[in-house]
Amino acid sequence: MTLVERTRAALTRAAGVYRGSGFDERIAEVRARLDEPLRVAIAGRVKSGKSTLLNALVADRLAPTDAGECTRIVTWYRDGHTYRVTLHPRAGGAPRQLRFTRDEGAVEVDLGGIRPEDVHSLDITWPSQALRRATLIDTPGIGSLSERVSRRAWELIAPDDEETPADAVLYLMRHLHANDLEFLHAFHDTEVSRPNPVNAIGVLSRADEIGVGRLDAMASARRIAARLAGDGNVRRVVQTVVPVAGLLAETAATLTETEVRHLRAVAGLEVKPAEELLLTADRFVNTLPELGLTSIEREALLARFGLYGIRLASTLLRQDGQTTATGLARELTDRSGLTELQEVLGSLFFERRDVLKARSALLALDTLTRTRPRSGSPAVAAEVEEIVASAHPFNELRVLATLRAGWLGGKPAVVEELERVIGGTGTAPHIRLDLPPDAGAGQLRSAASEALVRWQRRAENPLTVHEMAVAARVAVRSCEGLLADLNGRAR
Amino acid sequence: MSEPATTPATSLVDLGIKACTAYGREDLAARLGRIRTGLADPAVHIVVAGEFKQGKSSLINALLGTAVCPVDDDVATAVPTFVRHGEEKTATLVYDGNPPRREQVEFADLRGHVVEGSALGARPARVDVTVPRKILAGGLVMVDTPGVGGLGSAHAAAGLAAISVADAVVFVTDAAQELTRSEVEFLRQAHELCPTVVCALTKIDFYPAWRRIRDLNAGHLRMVGDLPLMPVSSPLRARAVRANDQKLNVESGFPDLVKFVQERVGGGAAARRSADAGAEVLAVCDQLTGQFSAERDALANPANAQRIVDDLNTAKRQVEELKTAAARWSVTLNDGTADLTADVDFDLRDRIRKITTEADDAIDEVDPADMWPEMEEWLRARISYDLLGNYTFLRRRAAELSEQVAGHFHEASGKAVGMLKVYNPTPLVEERAVEHRIELAKMTAGKQVMVALKSAYGGALMFTMLGSLMGVALGPIGIGIGVVMGHRGLKDEKKRQLEKRRAQGKNAMRRYCDEISFVSGKDSRDTVRRVQRQLRDHYTRLAEELNRSTATALAAATDTAKRSQADRQKRLKDLDAELTRLGQLRDRATKLAQA
Repeated sequence: MTLVERTRAALTRAAGVYRGSGFDERIAEVRARLDEPLRVAIAGRVKSGKSTLLNALVADRLAPTDAGECTRIVTWYRDGHTYRVTLHPRAGGAPRQLRFTRDEGAVEVDLGGIRPEDVHSLDITWPSQALRRATLIDTPGIGSLSERVSRRAWELIAPDDEETPADAVLYLMRHLHANDLEFLHAFHDTEVSRPNPVNAIGVLSRADEIGVGRLDAMASARRIAARLAGDGNVRRVVQTVVPVAGLLAETAATLTETEVRHLRAVAGLEVKPAEELLLTADRFVNTLPELGLTSIEREALLARFGLYGIRLASTLLRQDGQTTATGLARELTDRSGLTELQEVLGSLFFERRDVLKARSALLALDTLTRTRPRSGSPAVAAEVEEIVASAHPFNELRVLATLRAGWLGGKPAVVEELERVIGGTGTAPHIRLDLPPDAGAGQLRSAASEALVRWQRRAENPLTVHEMAVAARVAVRSCEGLLADLNGRAR
Repeated sequence: MSEPATTPATSLVDLGIKACTAYGREDLAARLGRIRTGLADPAVHIVVAGEFKQGKSSLINALLGTAVCPVDDDVATAVPTFVRHGEEKTATLVYDGNPPRREQVEFADLRGHVVEGSALGARPARVDVTVPRKILAGGLVMVDTPGVGGLGSAHAAAGLAAISVADAVVFVTDAAQELTRSEVEFLRQAHELCPTVVCALTKIDFYPAWRRIRDLNAGHLRMVGDLPLMPVSSPLRARAVRANDQKLNVESGFPDLVKFVQERVGGGAAARRSADAGAEVLAVCDQLTGQFSAERDALANPANAQRIVDDLNTAKRQVEELKTAAARWSVTLNDGTADLTADVDFDLRDRIRKITTEADDAIDEVDPADMWPEMEEWLRARISYDLLGNYTFLRRRAAELSEQVAGHFHEASGKAVGMLKVYNPTPLVEERAVEHRIELAKMTAGKQVMVALKSAYGGALMFTMLGSLMGVALGPIGIGIGVVMGHRGLKDEKKRQLEKRRAQGKNAMRRYCDEISFVSGKDSRDTVRRVQRQLRDHYTRLAEELNRSTATALAAATDTAKRSQADRQKRLKDLDAELTRLGQLRDRATKLAQA
């Protein structure tokens, strides 16, 4: 039985035990959640670019973005057949449907006289390809000037009870602060595996600002992200850190022909006057009238691209005048780091969807049986614990968490291989075996067999320390699983 | 520029020194000599503070028009850097120690020593840099600080400690976003510790919406207390300096900041110091005038001579009393110091006790294995804040004590000085000046404490020492991975391990708190002692001077009886001439002191 099937069986048993106790709805909810798209929360300090990144991921300017503090209500964006906005009041009570308009792309919701403080969350249903893979949750920032707004983010990601509404989190950071770590820790649960870098990816957001808009800003950001990802404290809480220039990513995903035309005008300038023009944002708006753009057009361009974006896009256009709008969009998406983020999301979240989903469901069941015991519930609790303790994917996650926490010593090369084999850097076979993506089945199979032998030897070697031996046994299982999959595929 | 601002004061003090030497009063000349040194090397500290990566170092570089502080996209400044004027570019590392160890390094190697995570051995407590820049020539010292890293962090407390001895603060925030809650809170505290605070909004070249942010920030700043807000662009300024482009310089917004630094900070400090110097010269004049006028009175009016001698004898007795340990000011000082030491110590213990209780509760709630780094961070921050609170308490109480002592001293000495002054033939000062003098006495009293405190903390960041103490390792967390795997039956073992970790954590935390209490208890006792010594020496010196003045006056008055008529007339003429000269000096000093 797969993990999801076992989890579903446990849920069925729980449904029987709790029938008629007032928790039917709760269990149905948990079961429904198991089949939903992955829920990914976008969290971070205030003004770290959460809504902008959300828009970039959806490739549509849904969430309102602004220079001031903007998102004040937790907002869910999910895929659906119709366009609809639903409000969940804080005090409980029936959800209400709200009227909304789209202003320059962003969805403007009319709260209908309800104060934002009294709103628990907004639910925006939007037919979208991107949302079919994952439901995205936009959160107010922590460290916001208004205490209440930031508490709301805490409640979502780190509620007092243990089940979190989100399955995974993208954590946006601008520079590592003490607050950030505290926040991440609260997000991680303590029961299933801990501390858990498994469901979080760090995003070094507004990456273009790190070099204050110099053309090599992203290279600088990449270096910083790599350093952060290697930092012990960061490793314990996020899997990896990816730099993203959010504004540029959002714009690239929604680039218009008009904008490209305007950029071509800038690219048409000689290098020297172009540099003078792009020296400051104010200069770009106010100087060089012969450019042929009105100040309104220039301001709009600045708002969409930022100074870095204009510098980069005009340089790209100057280098290759033949570039089409689509080509430019692709290039900018690559440069913004969004492509890399999407790859990382794919290998660390979406490929692990089942594990993350099962984890959320089991966590909910665990809480329910602990806080609401009932005749028959101990058996459910035992089943949950059985799954949690024995399911191989969880064991992998646990070893990974232990590795990340720095509790498992050993030769660096061995530790690195262990992390890879158990899927710490991605769950695809070629990643686990450290082979190129185009490796043939035969190559994969022989590499897997070699790895199996290697880890068996480590697991059985009497000189191996106990912790490493346990971890090695998990690695052996991973190799066996890999081989079984590869053989299955061949057959 | 602040240099010419103190020139009149310097020449006045020079004149005073000449007069004192001419009258054979080296003690008074020495007193003015000390003032002279202070005028020549005023050392006005401007602390540049703010969150991480807001462009503090860039701002200093742009302000000075030369690359002094290392700037990097990634790593941040980790060591406070003191930039002052010097003929040549030099860099000196200062390490903690008694006395602090100083090590001269190549200017070009500076980066390796002041940025985060540099692997060049022990990190210095601070770095002293000199550069040949005109803007610093007036004695300005720019202090680049590590980012505060959120309110409540140890860094923030260290920043505030630095601010408490600063003359002005430039708070740096970039135009990426409006001020955050912790920034506003930091500003509020900084404003309480140092009245002159300006907020610089950086990176306005890069953020198109900087005007919006400026307006939002202005709103936040109004809540703190109307601090000036100056939008600036460091890259533009750097470019302007390179190209010598005046228009670009204006666009960078720096002229406003430079003006603020030179006029409000530098100028303000210069005016304060000039007034101080004037007041000192005035006090010296008072003593000399009293001395001569007593003699003159005795000469001009031989019938009064005996009464004058009697009065002077009384004054002399009073002054002598002032010198003994039984004098009221001295008793106040000794008793006050004992009380101060006890109170400060109690305050510290009380604070540490509360922290320990809180930390115990916190450890009971979590697994130290997961939370230890955060616990460490929290504990360090918490302690820094309480140490800062303790220090503020000490500072306030010491200032109060100093005022009390000053009051008692001046009450007693006033009689003696008054007695000297009775014989002053021409009322030189209006009534207003008397009030002014009381104000002045208070001011100098406060200054004595600040001198003592500044020498204690040296303008450096006392809290940097916390880092080195926090090397508490939380025992081995070598719980078998099998345990972490959570198999049934191992739950008890898991619990036992957790309890053990908690006990370890609590022990480590207590040891750390003890260590802190011990070190900072010693530190504050030393500081109180230093304050006491400073005050004692200061007032003893004043008493000595007074004593000498009365003694000289007495000797001169007694001598008058022995003089011949012709001699008397000649001496009278001399004295009148001296008194006129002193009167002139006094007039100038009064003007300066009241400016």
